[in-house]
Parts: sequence; C-alpha cells; structure tokens
Amino acid sequence: MRKYVAKFMLIMLLIFAFGSMTFAQDEVAVDTWEIHFLNSVTGPIASIGEYMSWSANYAAAKINEEGGIRGKPVEIVIHDTGVQPDKGIEEMSKIVDDALVVMGPVPEAVIMAAVPLAVRNGLFCMTSSTSYEYTVEYFPWTLSWYPPTEEKLPPVTELWAEENPEMEKIVQFVEKWAAWPGMAGAHTIGLNNKNVEVIDIEVPKDAVEFSSLVVKALAEDPDGFVLTCNPDKAGKIIKELVNRGWEEKDNILVFSSADDTALYTTGGDALNGISIYNYIDPDSENERWLNFKQEYKEDHDGKNPGSLATNYYDSVYMIKEAIEEGKLTGDPAKLAEERIKIRDYCRNVENFKGIQITWSMNEGLPTSKPIFLFEIIDGEKQLIGKSR
Amino acid sequence: MHILEEAFRARGKLMEFFIAQVLNGLSLGSIYVLLVTGFNLMLLVAKIIQFAYPQFVVISMYATWAVLRATNNVILAILVTIVVSIFLNLLSEPIFRRITSIKGTDINATFVASIGLSMVLVEIMSHSLNQGFPISFSDNWVGGSVFRYGIINISRSSIFAWVGGIIVVVAFFYLLYRTMVGRLFRAIAENRHVAKLFGIPIFKTSMMSYLIAGLLGGFIALLLSMLIGTASPWLGESVALKVLAVSIVAGLGNLKGGLFVGLALGVVESVAIGYVAGSWSNVIAFVIMLIVILAKPKGLFGAAVE
Amino acid sequence: MYFLGFSMTYILMAWSIYLPYRVKHLHFLAVATMAVTSYMGGILSVNFGWSFLPTLLLSIVIGALISYLISHTIGNAPTFTVVIVGITFVFIIKTAIENTDYLGGTIGLFGIPVLDHPLIILFAFLLVIGYFLYRIDHSRIGRAASVIFTDENLAKSMGIKPKQIGMLFQTISGGIAGSAGVFYAFFVGSLFPDFFTFHLIGTLMTILFIGGYTTMWGVIPAALILRGVPMILPSSIASWRLLIYGVLLVAIIATKPKGLITKKMLWELLKKRSGS
Repeated sequence: MRKYVAKFMLIMLLIFAFGSMTFAQDEVAVDTWEIHFLNSVTGPIASIGEYMSWSANYAAAKINEEGGIRGKPVEIVIHDTGVQPDKGIEEMSKIVDDALVVMGPVPEAVIMAAVPLAVRNGLFCMTSSTSYEYTVEYFPWTLSWYPPTEEKLPPVTELWAEENPEMEKIVQFVEKWAAWPGMAGAHTIGLNNKNVEVIDIEVPKDAVEFSSLVVKALAEDPDGFVLTCNPDKAGKIIKELVNRGWEEKDNILVFSSADDTALYTTGGDALNGISIYNYIDPDSENERWLNFKQEYKEDHDGKNPGSLATNYYDSVYMIKEAIEEGKLTGDPAKLAEERIKIRDYCRNVENFKGIQITWSMNEGLPTSKPIFLFEIIDGEKQLIGKSR
Repeated sequence: MHILEEAFRARGKLMEFFIAQVLNGLSLGSIYVLLVTGFNLMLLVAKIIQFAYPQFVVISMYATWAVLRATNNVILAILVTIVVSIFLNLLSEPIFRRITSIKGTDINATFVASIGLSMVLVEIMSHSLNQGFPISFSDNWVGGSVFRYGIINISRSSIFAWVGGIIVVVAFFYLLYRTMVGRLFRAIAENRHVAKLFGIPIFKTSMMSYLIAGLLGGFIALLLSMLIGTASPWLGESVALKVLAVSIVAGLGNLKGGLFVGLALGVVESVAIGYVAGSWSNVIAFVIMLIVILAKPKGLFGAAVE
Repeated sequence: MYFLGFSMTYILMAWSIYLPYRVKHLHFLAVATMAVTSYMGGILSVNFGWSFLPTLLLSIVIGALISYLISHTIGNAPTFTVVIVGITFVFIIKTAIENTDYLGGTIGLFGIPVLDHPLIILFAFLLVIGYFLYRIDHSRIGRAASVIFTDENLAKSMGIKPKQIGMLFQTISGGIAGSAGVFYAFFVGSLFPDFFTFHLIGTLMTILFIGGYTTMWGVIPAALILRGVPMILPSSIASWRLLIYGVLLVAIIATKPKGLITKKMLWELLKKRSGS
C-alpha cells in the first residue's frame, strides 16, 4: 500500500514539477515589451512619419490601459532614419541583436537598405505601410499589407471613370519617387480598361512652381487629371489649374499617398469637389476607430487621420496578438525562435480585427482590403464609392 | 523615345503654348535675377560667396506667413519680412568678417562656410518652423488671374514679379552708379586695398552691403511668396544651386551678366518643361550652362572677381 | 561593424575630393562617378554574376577614365567651373538612373551580394590607397600642387604645368571615387538614386574641411567623429545631426580654416618626436 502511495506521490510531484517548469517557461521575462519602430520623423516625409509614430504610440497607450501584453506594459521605441538609407542601416544595426520585432522601416529607400541586414539576422520587419513590390524579395521576413499594385489599384480608377463617363482623355501628373511610377501605371491600366486615354506628365521632384507644367498639361486638351505626386505639389497643381479656369473638379483625382495635411494646406478651397481615394473607411462605426479619430483630431488641429494612420496602430495590436497566442516570453535566450513565431503568426493571421476592418493574411498576402473613393467638400471627405 | 513623343504631341497649339511658357519663364527669371543681384552684391563688396542667401529669403517667407496668420495685416507683414531679412543678413556679417580676416582663407572658405550655414538653417526650418511642414499663403495674398487667353494666363503675382523685378533692378543700378554709397561699393569691388588706402571705410561700407542685400532679400521673399504661394524648408536648396550656377555662368560678380543669364535661365527652364519630361528639363538647363562655361570658363560676360 | 564600414567608405570618398582640392578643384564629378560605378557594380553582380574583385578593378578603370576625359576641359579651370561641371553631371546621372527601369528606376536596385568580410577588405584597400596618396603628397608632384594652390601664376613661372597636374589629380580622384562607389554597393547591398547627390556632397565637404584639407590625414578622424558621435548620442539630439555638422563647419572655418589637422601641426608633432 505504502509503495503505491509513494509512487502516486512521486508521480504527483513529477507532474507538479513539470507543470511549474512549463509554467515558468511561459513566464514573461521582460519588464516592458519594447517594440522598435524605424520611422522617418524628419526630412521630406516628416508629416507622414509623425502621424505614424502618433498612431503607434496611441495603440501602445491603449494596450497599456487595458492591461498591457501578458501583463506587462508595451513601449514603442522610435528610431528616426530621416529617409536616409545609411541612417537606416545604422539604426537597424543597433537593434538587430536584441530586438524581438521591428516595425517599419519607413520609407522604401530605407527598407531596401536596412531590411537585408534584418533578414540576415532573422529579425522580422513589419513594413505595414509599403507596397508589395518592395517586400516580395524578402518574404517571409517582411510583409506588405497591400496586394500587388497592378491588382489593387486599377479597380479604383475604373470606378472613378465610371463616375465620370464623359472623360475620354486625361493627363496624369507623375512624380518619380519610389513606388509612385508603379502606382501611376496601375492607374493607367484601370483607366484604359474604361477606354480613357492617359497621358503622363512628369513632375520634377524639386519643382517649386508649376505654371509651366500646368500649361503643358492643358495644351493636351484633357478632360481630367490624376495626381500621383507628393501632397504639397498636388495641392499646388490643383490650385494652378483652378486659377487657369479649370472647373470640372470631379474630373480631378488625387491618389492615396497624397492624402495628408500638406494637400489640404496648399490646396485650400481649390480642392472642393475633387476626388481622392484611400484605404480609410469613413463609415466605420467601430468604437475604437471613432475614439482614435477624435483623439487624432484633437492632437492635430482638427485634421482627419492621414491615409496610412491606421497601419501602425494595427501593427502594434497584431504584435500583441502574436505574443499572446504564442505565449512569448521575451527571454533573450529564446529570441530566435520567438522572432520566428511572430513572423509566422503575422504571415497567416486569420480574421485579424483591425481598427477599421477585419482581414486575413495568406502567406504574406492580405485578403479583402477595400479602397474607398471620396469627394472633398470643405476639407472633409464624402464617400462616393468603394472598390474590391 | 518617350521624350520625343511628348515633344511632338505638344506641337498642337504651338504659338499659344510657347508664349505661355515664355511668360512663366519671365516670372521665374525675375526671381533668379533678383537673387543673383543680391548674391553678386555680397560677392563684390563683402567678398563672400553667400550660398545661404536663398535660405535667408525662405526664412523671411516664413516670417511673412507667421505675421499674416497672426494678424492678417498686410503692411505689418511686409515690414516684418524686410526687417527679418535685414536682421538675418546683418547677423551673418560678423561670421563672414571673421572668416575673411583670417590669414590663409580665400573666397572658397566663405563658400564652404555658407554651405554650413545653409545646412544649419534648413535643419532649423525642418525641425522647428511649423513642425517642418510646408507653409501656404492665403489666396488673398497670392492673388488670382488678371488676364487669360486660352492657356496663356497672367496672374497678379507674375505682374508683381515683373514690375517688382524691373523696379528693383533699376533702383539698384541707380544706387550703384548715381549715389555715394554705390560709388563706395564700386571702389571696394574694384580694388579693396587701394580703397582702404584712400580712406574708404571698409567696415561700414561692407555692413551697408549686407543691409542692402537684406532689404533686397526681404523684397524677394514677398515676391516669391506671392508667385509660388507656398514654402518649405527645402525650397532654398534647389534655388541656391541655380543662383550659384547663374552667377558662375554670367561671370562671378558680373551684375549686368547676371540680369541676362537669370532671365534666360527662367525662360529656358519653363520652355524646356513644356517640351521635355519634367526632370530632364532641369538637366537641360544645367547642360546648357555647362556648355557655356566650358566654352567660356570665366563666364559669359567675364568675371568681375577671381 | 557598420560604423567602421561606413566610416571607411566615407574616408575613401573624402579622399577622392581631397586630392583635386590640393589644386583648388572641388571635383564634384567624383560623386557622379560614384553613382555610375556603384550601379554598374550592382548590375554586373546581380544580372551577370560578376564577383567583387573584377567589379572593383573595372570600376577603378571606368572612374578614372570618365574623369580623365572630362579633365581635358577642366584640368586647369577656375574652381567654380569645376563645381558646375561636377554638379551638372550629378544631375544628369541621377535623372538618367531614375528614368531607367533596368537600373531599378526610382524604386532602386537591390539584391547586391554583400561582402563576407567587408571590413578587412576595405581596410586593406584603404591602406593601399593611403600609401599611394602619401607618396603623391610627398613627391615633386605634391609639392608642385601646393605651389599651384598658393599661387597659380607663380607655379607657372616655375615651370609647373597646372593643367597636367590638375588632369592627373582629377583622374586619380575618379579612380578612387569609382572604387568607393563599388565598395558602397557591396557593403549596403542596395542602391537608391537619391544617395549620390548634394546631401553626400555636403557630408564630404564637411568631412574634408573639418578634418583638414591640406593633408590626407584629416579626413580620417573627421569621418570617424562625424559618423560615430551621432551613434552614441540619444535619439532626440541625434536627429539634429545635420545642424551640428553645419555649426561645426562654420566654427572650424572661422577658427581653424585649414581644418583640425594641418601640415603645420603634423610637422610640429614630428619635430617634437624627433627632438625628444
């Protein structure tokens, strides 16, 4: 009898020991979860970088209010790369040994310079704001939340063309920067599908005044315009067009990357009636979104969130989920395997509840992310339609 | 080839198109002329290459914007802009004076120093002024179209640019050739040492040149704000290179040459944009300048300064 | 590791600007050359499988050739003419790259195989180039260059031919710049057309003038300090990097215009050593 009791006690002891070891294995080994973010908060895209940092920090604050990740608070560590590739490599090299995960880099030039370093060291980069073309080379160590440009954009311009069927020929202002020429090409595909001829006119990066460009455009006798250039220039070109007598505002389309504060500042009233597309669902009644929007407006002089504002908010939450699902510990001894766990979670996440929409990733490609077409009235966007 | 295709298509409304571009070019050219004049003044009298001069102008534009935003008072904005510009230029004087007085420096040292100054100013603008975002001037300030025919458009701001440009250049030449101050300037420009021997107050006259350059700069800031309607920290950089180039191509320090080359650059750029894809127009402008300078290394009209 | 690698690459680039400035030429063409050879290196390795060494050798030759051809016209031109020529080529090359899809256009070129032991190779190369520059500086040619710098007419009256020396220095500068371009490409692994432009020119000028343009040694500490210090500063101050560079540049020109390390200083240092 005693032998059985002894054996039983031994087994219980073993189970208990084993159980506590496993439990200890799952215990969080950090005091704070550090999520590094390689952003560009200074330089030519400072305004976009700023709101991306804001969104990430906002997400972190909300998570901490709700109890943190596995009971520990999360902190976003911003590394400014100022759109300089060598700075990007520098910042990445500082974190590549210890970081659990990194968000960004932003923008594309820095991705190209810094991601190879991360890949060589097995560090996953959540480049949630970039297009597919920049990340496909490094799958699965990086990802894109946008499907290939040529699939994603043509439906939008098709929709716009349907809304304005009288257009037969349009001029597209293209600025040669990063992925924009590719996007311009995709715009053209969509328009050509609806029998609209597209003539591209290049906007030089350092252009300061646009009278000559606009004259050139008007000389083509177009029915409309597409603006695939930086927000500041887009605003000025539209103003110049209006000054030269252009009246059919809904025949002007601005692309998503130009949807930020600078557009509204330089375009002003000239923007009334023009069309613009982006990825933000204006009708989303999601409470998180409404709160986000409100606090954003309070901190940004009443302006609405920029087109890429939600990407890094969602990224922080996706990382949180990955950590929770995988019961990650942040233990430096397990760094390599935990990085892989985050990577694999994000690459195939199902029904992730983003702040605006719920979507899934399939081997690094997103499914079901619609694009919204708007008309700008008095600085606010009114929904016209939705594609895909 | 893509470029040629574009050129052929544009042949449509040839004359109208050409005139429109030339008019655009004249507005832009007026600004270049004014900037080169200020730049050359510094070169001739203060003996410095002030690469940061356009940055001073851009900062003054920020001042205009700030005052207009705060008070909407046009007169005040004009005054403040000019004061800020003069102030900035005068502030830079001791730095340059120090540099030119050290043995072993030459005018290249001032060039390099002004590049450093330019870097500092751009950083300050992109970090602190309006949080680095571009600024925009109201429609009232910029003004609208005054005359329109087809695609030819003459805006209020272009008229200001031309008229302003002409007035300033005439006034400047009047100053230079019909006033005492101008005579002093020319004396120093011709031969600094001899001028000193003759008792000409180098320091005071030099200060005067900074003051006038500042005045001019403020005026340019106002015109630019109307013509372009916006400003950003990087506005100065693209313009600074062109101003330097114009000065070199015309002949360093050659005021009359600067007039011609400045206007010519404006027109060439605008016309080039009309016929050729955007970024190549920049290249064309520089290539033409390159050819000129290779043919005449001392500048088209001869340098007034080594 | 990256700190040293970038510093050494910048030293190489700064040396290409240093040499022509010995005769008062601000040879910005070197930066355009770097752009050309770096892209050439990228294409050769990615599309044609060339390895590093032959690419390096070819780039030195091409770089030198480009500068040599152009030096026929600007071998003895005034400083600012050389400046304009250089800037024009920087513009031309940049625009050409941006408009050429084969070179990656505005998206850039990536996938260049990164060197396994870049530091050793770079260091060895620096030693070779450094030695070469040292020999030039301390030869008849180097002394002649100093005379040209001080007074070109005096040099001519002494029988020195400024054009020949100008051409020589520009050609060598082109070769060094060519190598720098390839080192950069194989170090970073990707190329972006915006890199080889005025921002780089500004950085190199800062390194050269703060370090000291009268000797070849100045750029070494300057490159290390200018790259190194921002890495140890906290992020908030580090983003003001360019401002600090600008202030330092103005300060140096106003106090020690020849830079931190000058011939005089080195001479005195050596004298002290041999004296004691």
